[in-house]
Amino acid sequence: MAAINTETQAVISALLQQLKEASLVAHREVEQVLPVIRPHGDDVALAWIEACRKLFDYDREAGKAFIRGSREAEKISETVLPWTAQAMHFMRWRSSWRALEGFMQNLPRAFGSLGHSGQRRWAEIGFVWCGRQIESGNAYFATPVVELSGRQGIAGIEQLNTPAEELFESRKLLLGTYLPGALRVRNLLGAQAILPWALRGADIMQSGRARGEAYFRLESEESLALLLEHLPGFRLIDRNRLLAMLLDIWYGGDFELKESSWSPEKGRPFVETDGCSLFLPAVMSNRDEAVLAVLHAAGHMRFGTFERRAMKAMFGGAGVDFPETGPVSWAPLFIRYGEDALRFQLIFDLCEDLRVDFRVQQLVPNYLQRLIATARATGARHPGTSAFFDLALASAEEALGATRAHGVRSKRFGPLFDAAATVADAFRVASVIYSNDELPHVADLEAFHAAYLPGRGPNATRLVHPQERREQSQQTQSQSEQQDQSQEQGEEQEQTPQNAEAGDEQDGGKRQEVAGYGDSSGAATQSAQRSDAQQHGSNVADKGVPYPEWDYREMRYKRNWSWVQEKRLSESNLSETNRLMKQYADALKRLKRAIQSQKPTRTAPLLRQLDGDDMDINAVVGYVAEKRAGRSPSPAIYRRREQQQREIAVTLLADMSTSIMQHLPEGGGRLVDRVRAGVLLFAESMEEVGDNYSIAGFCSKYRDNVSYYKIKDFDQPLSQDVRSQIGGMSGRLATRMGAAIRHATACFEGIESRRRLLLILSDGRPEDYDDGGDRRYLHEDTRMAVKEAVAKGVHPFCITVDTMANQYLPQIFGRGHYLVLDQINSLPNKLPEIYFRLRR
Amino acid sequence: MKTAVNRIRGVERDIVQVPLAGDTAPYYEPQGNEVAIFEAAYKKRLPVMLKGPTGCGKTRFLEHMAFQLQRPLVTVSCHEDLTSSDLVGRFLLEGADTVWQDGPLTRAVKVGAICYLDEIVEARTDSTVVIHSLTDHRRKLTIEKKGQEIEAHEDFMLVISYNPGYQTVLKDLKPSTKQRFIGINFDFPAEDIERKILINEVPGISPETAQQLVAAGRKARLLKDHGLEESTSTRALVYAANMMNAGLDPVAACQVAMINPITDDIELSEALMEIVQAHFAV
Repeated sequence: MAAINTETQAVISALLQQLKEASLVAHREVEQVLPVIRPHGDDVALAWIEACRKLFDYDREAGKAFIRGSREAEKISETVLPWTAQAMHFMRWRSSWRALEGFMQNLPRAFGSLGHSGQRRWAEIGFVWCGRQIESGNAYFATPVVELSGRQGIAGIEQLNTPAEELFESRKLLLGTYLPGALRVRNLLGAQAILPWALRGADIMQSGRARGEAYFRLESEESLALLLEHLPGFRLIDRNRLLAMLLDIWYGGDFELKESSWSPEKGRPFVETDGCSLFLPAVMSNRDEAVLAVLHAAGHMRFGTFERRAMKAMFGGAGVDFPETGPVSWAPLFIRYGEDALRFQLIFDLCEDLRVDFRVQQLVPNYLQRLIATARATGARHPGTSAFFDLALASAEEALGATRAHGVRSKRFGPLFDAAATVADAFRVASVIYSNDELPHVADLEAFHAAYLPGRGPNATRLVHPQERREQSQQTQSQSEQQDQSQEQGEEQEQTPQNAEAGDEQDGGKRQEVAGYGDSSGAATQSAQRSDAQQHGSNVADKGVPYPEWDYREMRYKRNWSWVQEKRLSESNLSETNRLMKQYADALKRLKRAIQSQKPTRTAPLLRQLDGDDMDINAVVGYVAEKRAGRSPSPAIYRRREQQQREIAVTLLADMSTSIMQHLPEGGGRLVDRVRAGVLLFAESMEEVGDNYSIAGFCSKYRDNVSYYKIKDFDQPLSQDVRSQIGGMSGRLATRMGAAIRHATACFEGIESRRRLLLILSDGRPEDYDDGGDRRYLHEDTRMAVKEAVAKGVHPFCITVDTMANQYLPQIFGRGHYLVLDQINSLPNKLPEIYFRLRR
Repeated sequence: MKTAVNRIRGVERDIVQVPLAGDTAPYYEPQGNEVAIFEAAYKKRLPVMLKGPTGCGKTRFLEHMAFQLQRPLVTVSCHEDLTSSDLVGRFLLEGADTVWQDGPLTRAVKVGAICYLDEIVEARTDSTVVIHSLTDHRRKLTIEKKGQEIEAHEDFMLVISYNPGYQTVLKDLKPSTKQRFIGINFDFPAEDIERKILINEVPGISPETAQQLVAAGRKARLLKDHGLEESTSTRALVYAANMMNAGLDPVAACQVAMINPITDDIELSEALMEIVQAHFAV
């Protein structure tokens, strides 16, 4: 047969000769591959060499890539012509050598995993992309086929491709931008998540290209948030309140819960702690693991993992210097173990976690049982570290045994169950276990992460803030906290006062106040510029009304100390009001119905009247009976359906400091939106009830500049103007609550009613710019203001959304005279409800 | 008392009942010196105010004391429509005649009973003023409608209860009313006492179960600041123990007796469930 094709042979030789002249390297490589190709026949070999030649002429790199990839391609596909023809396609596009390189690299895997027809489709899709835009083609072919298909064959590739094509057609989104993100989304959330993710991205793309691209690269906050939102499992951030309650139950303490920067590709999520706060990942695989993790991490804080003396002893034992101040890094402890650091770290964590868990068990009944049960249900997650996992499980069982009477304590872990054991003992025990060398070496991070029992995790991930001994008073703790804060860069710097914003301070002595953030409409900003001071001209009355202020340090009142200026809220925003009315229409309807159903008992017909339109049957019976008994009863036997005399007057006083402009941690807008909605619902339902009410807001900047915004006065009807002012409420400056309470109390003067209620809506502690960081000063003053109000027959009641409020409100308002709403979203609905509960 | 009560079950009887010989005292476990305080107040016939959260044992305490002092106990549960006639009495028509009927307070004043006005803040302030003259040195009740007044029986004693919660901000008693009373503060009992109460109230419950229930209850009370209007009461614990005693699974018993009734908040009930499960996990 070879003889017949001598002609072909000759052509091949000629081509090879040409190639040799063009490039020695190329020629050598072709010669190396040729023996693999030849068995397919001389025609095939000729076609292949022609392709080499053409591609090489077209682009040297393309040619080389083709030649180099051929051997593998032939081996897997057992063909030559199909892919050779496909490779020739690349000559249609300029600078396509990179795409061809990717194509050739992926060929064997494409044939292997997709089969011949799948490979064909894979190539076709790629060609279309090359035709659209060569960079996209590059990105397509450069992506390993297995990743592209997600082990689902060609269907997986189509899944990825369809949204990409649409996005390219409609938004000119390049495949290179889309692909890496889409692959991650599919890996994390499954194929069904790609389309919604991509559609959302398309919307964002429309609002701005840079923003959209950041979204697709999973670099923007919103795409990460969207991802986290859709991750399966137990969502710790959403369940923050539950976890905080659990900590309160078992540890009875205030733990600061923060969101960690964990994102899915960082591997298994863990709850971490630095001795100050707990850092929660967005998601953990299930509820049990999350609860265990939070309890465990809090256990580290409570049982002295970060206790300064114990840590010092541990560092001393390891022969490492312990820094006297500032945050401490664990790294020096582990560096000594070099390559084997991960192994030692696992052993150390195992011991320290065991010590802590043993103590936690004494606080939380059945904690170890739960840990063991959850661990058994999960099982070892990684073959490389199953030995660690099993040992940890066995040691937990031993700990459980040790809690029972006459429990056996092994020599190995026994010392950790001693009540006086510290982290230093754990380190010692770990060193012994390490030197016994029974456990395997740990090389990769995935295996390392998998070795931890559910709820446990690496202890050394964060810089540690060593704690002083717990016996010491709270004061020193807070001092050291302050120290830490100043030393630590990167963490949020505490502004004093908290409620005020740095930007506000810069405007110096200027009177003008503008809403904290630029949310108000153009009209609002305009009107804000006409400040009240200018309107009235600067006369004496401008200084406002003076009130005394209580100075606890001197135990006396400072006369005429704080000055309150009554103002009209200059911003108004009717569209916001309308929006809120629409949003809360259902809630309002429900509230009104509830009020109406209460009405008969509330505006009960007046009984035992001297005249009226109805008989009061009880009174009649009594009257007749007494008459018969020979007495002369009063003829008050009628009932009247008349609006009852007003019994109650209420002022809703809203804290309008900067802090209400903050975005809600759970998303969905800002605190001020809830405040506006709450005030609006309150006003609307008050109209239904008929009680006399007023609405005001306050903010302050220094003692002589307390602004009191009368939004609605008593007896003023709820007009559109009032409504739109509510819609325009916004935050500015600080919170001098005492002065505001005194002024509100004074405003009750002349209001006829049996009961007077001052509802204060707040989101933080009383603070002002000039309190010198002495929180107690304004606390004490507010406390006195409350006392004065009570003495004048006004009942102050505080509703706050500050979850830390339990620390200071009891002292200010007294037990039972405040309420902490730990769900901000419930504020709009709750506010009227609370009022009705109060007035019941 | 058991047999005597059984004989008259389902039969109407007068509200004034003197404890009979052979009755057993209602069970009460003293938490502190409240028994001594009450006895001293009774010795001097001073009115007493019992303050404390719902279900902590105020009413039971009073039943117990009334028995110990061998006085009948007249209980009036106050509500917002309670008028002074409801306390003092009113004329009734009977055939062609009118008959005066004493109210419970008047009855108690006459026979020398202990009159217990439960949740007094619920009543309208004007109706609570009638007790003023009874609660100071005068110790007499004015019956306005009849134009009479009654010197109280020498054994008569007035007791009120009230539950300071945030609902009562506006409904507080008048200071002038308040300061006429000896005030005894109640709170949920200490751990060992509460355990004893459970074992006594629910015979057949094991000390371990009682211990677990009490521990769970104490943890549940820590959630008061998270939006619970009323925290888990001793009564709720007794209910839970009863449900367990009746054969219900412990976790379910706690859920129906201690969690479902006090909250509709999903997260709160989840947190409460965590407590229960931790204590009763098998």
